Amino acid sequence: MALLQISEPGMSTAPHEHRLAVGIDLGTTNSLVASVRSGEASTLANADGQHLLPSVVRYLESGEVIIGSEAQAALGSDLKNTIASAKRLVGRAVSELKTLAGQLPYDFVETEGNVPQIQTVAGNVTAIEVSSEILKALKSRAEESLGGELTGVVITVPAYFDDAQRQATKDAARLAGLNVYRLLNEPTAAAVAYGLDQQTDVDNKIIAIYDLGGGTFDVSLLRLNKGVFEVMSTGGDSALGGDDFDHLIAEWMLKESAQQDTKDAHLLRAAMIEARRAKEALSDNDTVAVTLGDWQGSIDVATFNELSESLVKKTLMACRRAVRDAGIEKEDIADVVMVGGSTRVPYVRQRVGEFFDRPPLVDIDPDKVVAIGAAIQADLLAGNKPDSEMLLLDVTPLSLGLETYGGLVEKVVARNTTIPITRAQEFTTFKDNQTAMTIHVLQGERETVEENRSLAKFALRGIPPMVAGAARIKVTFQVDADGLLSVFAEEESTGVKAAVEVKPSYGLSDNEIESMIRASMENAKHDVEMRRLREQQVEADRSLQALDAAMTSDADRLLNESEKQQLLAARGDLQVARDSDDAEVVKAAIKSLEKAAEFYVARRMDNNIQAAMSGHNITEFES
Amino acid sequence: MSIDFKKNYFELFGLPVQFDVDNSQLAVAFRALQTQHHPDRFASESDEARRIAQQVTSFINTAQETLKSNRLRARYLLSLSDVDFDDERDTTSDMMFLMSQMERREVLEQVPNAVDPFDAVDALSKDVKAENKALEQAFETAYDAGDLEEAKQVVLKLKFFERLLGEIKQLEEKLEDEAL
Repeated sequence: MALLQISEPGMSTAPHEHRLAVGIDLGTTNSLVASVRSGEASTLANADGQHLLPSVVRYLESGEVIIGSEAQAALGSDLKNTIASAKRLVGRAVSELKTLAGQLPYDFVETEGNVPQIQTVAGNVTAIEVSSEILKALKSRAEESLGGELTGVVITVPAYFDDAQRQATKDAARLAGLNVYRLLNEPTAAAVAYGLDQQTDVDNKIIAIYDLGGGTFDVSLLRLNKGVFEVMSTGGDSALGGDDFDHLIAEWMLKESAQQDTKDAHLLRAAMIEARRAKEALSDNDTVAVTLGDWQGSIDVATFNELSESLVKKTLMACRRAVRDAGIEKEDIADVVMVGGSTRVPYVRQRVGEFFDRPPLVDIDPDKVVAIGAAIQADLLAGNKPDSEMLLLDVTPLSLGLETYGGLVEKVVARNTTIPITRAQEFTTFKDNQTAMTIHVLQGERETVEENRSLAKFALRGIPPMVAGAARIKVTFQVDADGLLSVFAEEESTGVKAAVEVKPSYGLSDNEIESMIRASMENAKHDVEMRRLREQQVEADRSLQALDAAMTSDADRLLNESEKQQLLAARGDLQVARDSDDAEVVKAAIKSLEKAAEFYVARRMDNNIQAAMSGHNITEFES
Repeated sequence: MSIDFKKNYFELFGLPVQFDVDNSQLAVAFRALQTQHHPDRFASESDEARRIAQQVTSFINTAQETLKSNRLRARYLLSLSDVDFDDERDTTSDMMFLMSQMERREVLEQVPNAVDPFDAVDALSKDVKAENKALEQAFETAYDAGDLEEAKQVVLKLKFFERLLGEIKQLEEKLEDEAL
């Protein structure tokens, strides 16, 4: 064949040559490579007909590196030199691994750099190098199947992957000698795989992508319409996956066999392997016999479901939130696409089906769907499909807002808003003759200023003196297509202006974004308490002011000296309680001042002809 | 290639200027405009072309969000008829309405004590949404009859419902966090 490919020097590339491009799903448990051939996307098999490449790399003393099933087979015997969950380690700093390291059997080396290294008989390796070995294996598989060198690849990553993790994935690809067209989020790839952009008859379809992989969980809501993919919302947990089901079964077996306190790494690994086998077998059997060393037992579906319940529930909570963030009802979702090997677990399918009230789609092999979508995107980016109208609309990952009275944050652009966007909000002055106003721009989901990321602070000066509330200050947030934020403030009656450009996506690493989302979930309770305290404090101030105003106006007329002292004492109590850090204490003090002032309120009321005021609290006597 | 910023949002999407909006038609028109104007389409063109694309798509996004929200759409319709709103001062004075809002809030406060808080919050959410819907219909009736003052009163009430729905949402998130 080579003899037929005659070309003139300098004209070796034909203008319409089909470029070889592949999509790679670099998974925690398994990896795949797929390509579009004759218009059809499919995954590529190795010489043995295997499509899934276990994401396991074994280092031998000779320096030889073994990848895939053969390495996986050594997990029970040579665990220190056999690296299985590189995806969980990639892009992580040494400090971040402190918590993870305890759960992994590897010997981590203390290094000067920030990239952690694992000690093996063949020397120290990083997770990037481990991943690159997997990519190299897939690259050579693709080049053998397709008969040529690859022009470029699309590699998928979880939607929750932070900047460091994405960068590390790109580094691994470079190490493997691959040209990365782009990294694609796994749920988006799954939607592309279903060819939903090709459905010209469907105008407006909302799809939920439930992706429970080996090590990560993502839920995404996409709106699909005539070639346009719109991300409505995303959510998930980057530390939850099928491996956790294995852990639960393994723990259960260790407990059943009275070996739960074992430190024996071989036994732990054997338990994990047996657990995975049991999990897979339970998809087709009601009861599965399990062995662990000398111990023999059995696990049934009911027990497994019970063990899985908390994990499944966690994923459904994330689904609930994603649905709400998208501003839709569950009923609006046309299809639920299942992605990831763990969605084979019947209980997962059952609970997801119950939650969305429809059977989830499992048409495309949940292990292959992401790689197939990546292949379609790679084909597109290689320029093999110039007429495609596919467009992915992006959204803001975190809410943007302003500091308002009481240290609270008022959201101006909610998270998951389609960008680019320009959003204006009007504020006014609090005090008479206020000539300046501080504009404090914040990012995050938390309710108080201190607990969100401060992006910028600037002042709008030169506001002409006016009574409180008369100024009309328009604050405009502008987020461009790259996620860069600019903020402008303007006093509308005079046109006094101030502006600042802030760069959330550069000033704030994706890593921080992820941890902030995490923190907002973990600390929501604390937030609510903080908010309640602030509200009670504002309430307390109002009560104090109202009482002061009332006493100034008529205390001398309506109260005798001891009554006055009695009220002032109660006022003093509230003044002290106001600065407590317990909302309940402040609230109780407000209540007791209100009670102490009841007779005074009643007396003022009698004194006043407006009998309609009965039942009001003292704060309403301000004016 | 560029769009006319003088068009009102309804005209932009080729929709009739009325409260009732065909959401699927809106979505189709929105995506057609995005496909044409999104900055990604101008990735390899000049800075100026990308800036214009950015401005145009911001306008499109704002227009779409305004028409997508029933309250914002109602308010926008009134603004097209020169009915102004003062966010700081305008509020409803309908005492019965305020009372019923307070009652709803009391129910909301009791949700965490329910046997199944998720069922309780779902039930409340459903009720509030139904009432909200009735208000939206009241807006449409008033607006169509040309009673813009009444229509404005309804929009002010809708704001209360929006806030209440926001609080219901916050409670749901809190319940979810606690369930994890």
